[in-house]
Amino acid sequence: MDNEKKERAPIVINQTDLDRAYKKVKEYKELLRRGKTSEQIFKDMIRLIQVGK
Amino acid sequence: MVNNFLQIIFDLSSQLKIPAVIIGGLALPAYNVARTTLDIDISINVNSQKKLDKFIEVLKEKNIITKQHPKIDHTIFTVFGLNFEAEIWLKPCDAFDWDKEMVERIQLFFDNVYVLSAEDFILTKLARMDRSSIDISDIIQVLISTKNSMNWKYFRYRLEWIGLESEFKDILKGFELDSNVETREISREILNRFNNLKVD
Repeated sequence: MDNEKKERAPIVINQTDLDRAYKKVKEYKELLRRGKTSEQIFKDMIRLIQVGK
Repeated sequence: MVNNFLQIIFDLSSQLKIPAVIIGGLALPAYNVARTTLDIDISINVNSQKKLDKFIEVLKEKNIITKQHPKIDHTIFTVFGLNFEAEIWLKPCDAFDWDKEMVERIQLFFDNVYVLSAEDFILTKLARMDRSSIDISDIIQVLISTKNSMNWKYFRYRLEWIGLESEFKDILKGFELDSNVETREISREILNRFNNLKVD
């Protein structure tokens, strides 16, 4: 029997989480500043996903 | 174009007039955020079994196959290509279905690759039943990078619609407590935008 109501994990954010998020956004902006585009970054991510040839 | 596998999926969905978007971590660069991710997740808005069967059939003709027998009321199925596999979702998220407004707000990323609006993307992350700390981290980053372009009114409406205002406020608590001198002004701006207050 599966009558238990599913609950999502509670959300607790601390300063470290926030600092890490700001840092990552800053790093992304830096990539854009250096001339990378979001399209190129997307394609880089796709290459990481590719499974064995 | 991005690669053959995704090109085929997006080309065929376009030919069949099936709205399709990249969701999950792979969509993040559309919102100026990135992380390494291991999955390709695509959500399609298909409204009949006949159309879904046709989509699967034309994918198969291009050597992208599924070993499942997806039904219109299912949530997800997997397709395999030569070097890639993807999860195809029949909903934007396991917690809610497509609706007209969500489809209208789909945005072009590049070429024929589409994503959800930033507001709806955040909602998919917040609402998923197996939400993890990675989802919360993604939400925080998307909020920071899209705060100026987000439609906050629409976002508030969606939070109420899905009943997750309280959980989103738990995220805002993090911004409220921001004590970093370099970022607290931005955090305040996010809070003001959400609360519909004037932003300098």
